[in-house]
Amino acid sequence: MKGFSPGLSDSIASGIANPPQCRDCGSSSRVGGGLCVRCLLQAGLEPDDECAPELLMSAFAEITLADKNWRLGNYEILGEIGRGGMGVIYRARQRHSRRIVAVKRVLGYHADSHETLARFRREAQAAASLDHPNILPIYEVSESEEGLPFFSMKFAPGGSLQEASSALRDEPRQCVALVAKVARAVHHAHGQGILHRDLKPGNILLDGRGEPLVSDFGLAKWLDTTSDLTRTLTIFGTPGYIAPEQSTGLAEQLSPAADVYSLGAILFDLVAGRPPFLGSHALSVIRQASESPAPKLRSLSRLADRDLETICARCLEREPSARYASARDLAEDLERWLEGRPIVARPVSPAVRAWRWSVRNPKLAVSFAACILLGTVALLRHNQNRELAARVREQALAHHSVGVLPFLDLDAVGPDKAATTSLGGGLVAMLEKMGPARVLLLQGIPATYAGGGSPADLREAGQHAKTRTILTGTTRKTPSGKRIAIRLMDASTGDALFSQSFEEESILRGNSDELVSVAGSIYSLLNAQELKSVSETARDPGLVNEQTRDLIVAGRDLSFRYKVDDYDRAIICFEKAIALEPASPIAHAYLSAALSSRCHFENSPGYLERAEREAEEALRLRPNLPEAHRALAGINQGRNRRLALEEHFQSIEYGGLEYRGASAIGGVFQNLGRPDLALRWFDLARHWEVRRGETDSRIGDCWADLGDDTRAEQAYLRAADLHPEMPYGWLGICRLRLLNRQFDEARKVWAKHCEPLGSFGEVKQMQAQIEFFARNFGPAAELYSHLSKVDPSGGAQFYSGISYESALDRLNWKAEGDTLPASLSERIARRRGSVQTAPDEPDILYQLAVDESLAGQTEPALGHLRSAMNAGWLEYQATLLDPRFDKIANDSHFKEILNTVRDRISSMRAAVLSQNHEQEIADNSER
Amino acid sequence: MNSPVVTESGGEGRIFATTRWSLILTSTDLEDDDQKARQALSELCRLYWRPIFSFVCRRGHSTQDAQDLTQDFFVMILEGKWLERADPNRGRFRSLLLKSLGNFLNDAAIKRQARKRGGEVQFVAWDEWMAEAPSQLTVSRQALESWPAEHLFDLRWAATVVEQALRRLREECESQGRLRAFEVLRACLGAEREDVSYPELAQTLGVTDTTVKRLVHRLRQRYRSLLRDEITDTVADPAEVDDEIRHLCGILATNNNETP
Repeated sequence: MKGFSPGLSDSIASGIANPPQCRDCGSSSRVGGGLCVRCLLQAGLEPDDECAPELLMSAFAEITLADKNWRLGNYEILGEIGRGGMGVIYRARQRHSRRIVAVKRVLGYHADSHETLARFRREAQAAASLDHPNILPIYEVSESEEGLPFFSMKFAPGGSLQEASSALRDEPRQCVALVAKVARAVHHAHGQGILHRDLKPGNILLDGRGEPLVSDFGLAKWLDTTSDLTRTLTIFGTPGYIAPEQSTGLAEQLSPAADVYSLGAILFDLVAGRPPFLGSHALSVIRQASESPAPKLRSLSRLADRDLETICARCLEREPSARYASARDLAEDLERWLEGRPIVARPVSPAVRAWRWSVRNPKLAVSFAACILLGTVALLRHNQNRELAARVREQALAHHSVGVLPFLDLDAVGPDKAATTSLGGGLVAMLEKMGPARVLLLQGIPATYAGGGSPADLREAGQHAKTRTILTGTTRKTPSGKRIAIRLMDASTGDALFSQSFEEESILRGNSDELVSVAGSIYSLLNAQELKSVSETARDPGLVNEQTRDLIVAGRDLSFRYKVDDYDRAIICFEKAIALEPASPIAHAYLSAALSSRCHFENSPGYLERAEREAEEALRLRPNLPEAHRALAGINQGRNRRLALEEHFQSIEYGGLEYRGASAIGGVFQNLGRPDLALRWFDLARHWEVRRGETDSRIGDCWADLGDDTRAEQAYLRAADLHPEMPYGWLGICRLRLLNRQFDEARKVWAKHCEPLGSFGEVKQMQAQIEFFARNFGPAAELYSHLSKVDPSGGAQFYSGISYESALDRLNWKAEGDTLPASLSERIARRRGSVQTAPDEPDILYQLAVDESLAGQTEPALGHLRSAMNAGWLEYQATLLDPRFDKIANDSHFKEILNTVRDRISSMRAAVLSQNHEQEIADNSER
Repeated sequence: MNSPVVTESGGEGRIFATTRWSLILTSTDLEDDDQKARQALSELCRLYWRPIFSFVCRRGHSTQDAQDLTQDFFVMILEGKWLERADPNRGRFRSLLLKSLGNFLNDAAIKRQARKRGGEVQFVAWDEWMAEAPSQLTVSRQALESWPAEHLFDLRWAATVVEQALRRLREECESQGRLRAFEVLRACLGAEREDVSYPELAQTLGVTDTTVKRLVHRLRQRYRSLLRDEITDTVADPAEVDDEIRHLCGILATNNNETP
């Protein structure tokens, strides 16, 4: 009898040619680990005493080398089966059923976002849904406690075809029978729309009976450790078995023919003993495969006949359309061969061969369109199974799919319909010229999605439109015209793939050069097998390195809490991350943001400078990094509001909108005296609030500034309801009462609702302010002194900008004719200096006006008051009540200035209300 | 005949324990006994299927046929009154099995035409058995190709016994959380004595040389217990264990290019 066939028989024993003999007994039979069977048996005869288990365990007790219970989900890991480019495969026992299974892990590199994991799950589950006797069943797709995904599958005791191949070398009939079964299994999967893309002997496992089981359908990318994928060369699959079109990195029209190629290569390998193309490294193998015809099978194996050679050759045609149209066709021809019947494939004559190759000349392939067109037509012509072709085309379209969200007009804070239509329409036309692409202008979605919104919004939009990517952008007016920014994002993760801005409107024109170039860049990005490989965010060294990624995530979390200590901890996290990965732009940007945020707690001058340096470094490492722009906006929030605004807008242009950006912009507009615009930004922000109610108190402030007390109170009450642990809602209401001169009411509200939250500094400030405005100077003085002891230079950030210093100056007036306190004169001088450098900052102007008024310098005070109001200071009611202005309050100009502001606010309010009304009508009609 | 007292097979209290085989031999027709006997028999079959299968293959049958025949053989043993037809001399499980198997195959050759291949009906879960207890026996190719079936049967039997003992030892260590230590020390069990480097092991395990020696000693002792347990389970009388071991060692002594 000839040698055993692989599978069950191999489990009896493996025969090897010249096994080493045991030195003790001369026997050459061994079991696992090279242990000699005879010696192991003889050990049973030795006169040693026997031993109970406890004795052994007590001996073990002296060793500390204990096992950790290695578990992955519901599985106990028993040991490794194999390791290699595919990751690690373990033999494991399922906890409840005690069944032995194989478990394969997704490598850590990929598992860094919920979206990636979700997608892995979906794909693994698609593969798991394949039900065919020759497809390795996947039992469960799950995640370990650490969130690492893995899947369990049937344990194939026969090993893989790779190991069995030597035993099969001399049995061509068995090889053919095996490959025929595999081909049918592959065809079954094609029918479900799943291409394998990485068929090779290592992926074909054998069960106990030697039956083939194909594994890892469509999952190659998750298990591949070759993570260094460049944009131009996204190779999956093992060189030698993958189809040449799969590796050229051009617009792939991947079809079932690619898997057919692999099947042919596997058959070739089994019969001939080597794959069709060999080389010292992957690239040379691939180049050969695309440039030269495959060697003839019979030149390498005497056991193959002409028909078998023809079958192999047909699988290995470089032109996909020249191969078998489907894996089933291949299976049928193989079965015909086994039955001795004539096969369908015909050898190709040299002339035809040459013609076919010239059609696929690589030089032609530079033009995407030509290549795709040929491929599509050829495929359709040759493909007998139209349904299959349709399914695969559907996959190609899905692969190149873009959903266009409306562009956001940053000035109007609403969708820019005109730009969306012209730009979106232009891109649609351009992209579809370049190849199969599905570009959809998403209609009927809420205005808050314009410009991109949050990652959750993007995911939803992507799912709704069934597109892989989302395209959107922003427009705004600049002194030189219009500025348009475009962004392409991965719909499932929100990562930016492409962003570019244009200073002119030419991009909006249909055939402009800029539009063509943008479309080209976008199309080539869509070719990527894995969007992750082309995402800038995903490639930030700080996020790629697992250790620093953890630090960055932790730091980011700490950066959004309420205590100074948390900010300090956040700063430490980012510093550590930078120490490990100094070239991580994001780590620098986040550090910058944390440093500048900390300044809001405690005035730490060195921090602002450092924050600036970090932001600059981030931009140096990656120009246009949105997080760096956001950090710069935060840095300038207090000292140069217009610059802050510019940085915010740039951050949106390059990175899209998110809660804190929108909310911060709202704040800037509030400070600049545009509560109407601030409201729009807060409305957007409110859409993505992480915690409900965060924005309501600020909305209340906007309405209060606009003089609509009813709406203000509504908003404050909402804030108070949703956040009873925060005083801001009730503080707002206190203030409303105060400004209406309802002092007792204000006191009541304060006592009942604010006082319990006394740990907030603002609560005490409000108490002092109430007494101050009520002209209850005794208590007011006490309160302000107390406040001043805690923070001598504070107070100006709160409502009405009452710095403790200025309050105390007013409260300490004894009589007319007093000399001015030196501190006051000094302050005035200092502020005049500040005004020189920042002539447009409303709060600086206002404080100067206050101080000058305290000093009795009427003209300058009035002048600066007017400037402050023009620059955006809107609190005219408070100014009327404010005792600090007593010395100039009787001047007619004083009242005139305040009336102007009051009128301006009135018209602003009217405009806002009528616009809201129009918007409501418009929304209703659109539904 | 008195029904013997049944306890857990193997282990301590050998005096009272009944080997699986003796349990089977001495079972009466009482339902309880019978059921336990069947249970014991099926456990033995599950352990020793490989020798049976190898014998059938070596007799010239294709893998597919060998599967069917092995399965049929199991059916016969477990459901029929196999023992009643067997040699009244009883003897050891191994030799009895071999004899029966030989007879069975001769009979089967005659009856094969009439038998219907049921296809899906499989109570032999090959893949599971192979998954649970994988085997890594390597022998010389010459032996595999030239030895007679009976010889291969015994060879495979010997390997099974030894692998089973090792597996149980491994499980004992694993259940106490000492799997890694076991893996480190495993090589000491059967390897050539000179190859064992106590200083190296001591370093890997983080203990002294003395401790390692003591541990290895205990490990060998425990292995010996388990090995003898396994063999005891297949003989009627514990006194036969040494003889059985010697027989199997004898099989393995002739190797390489010699044909017995």
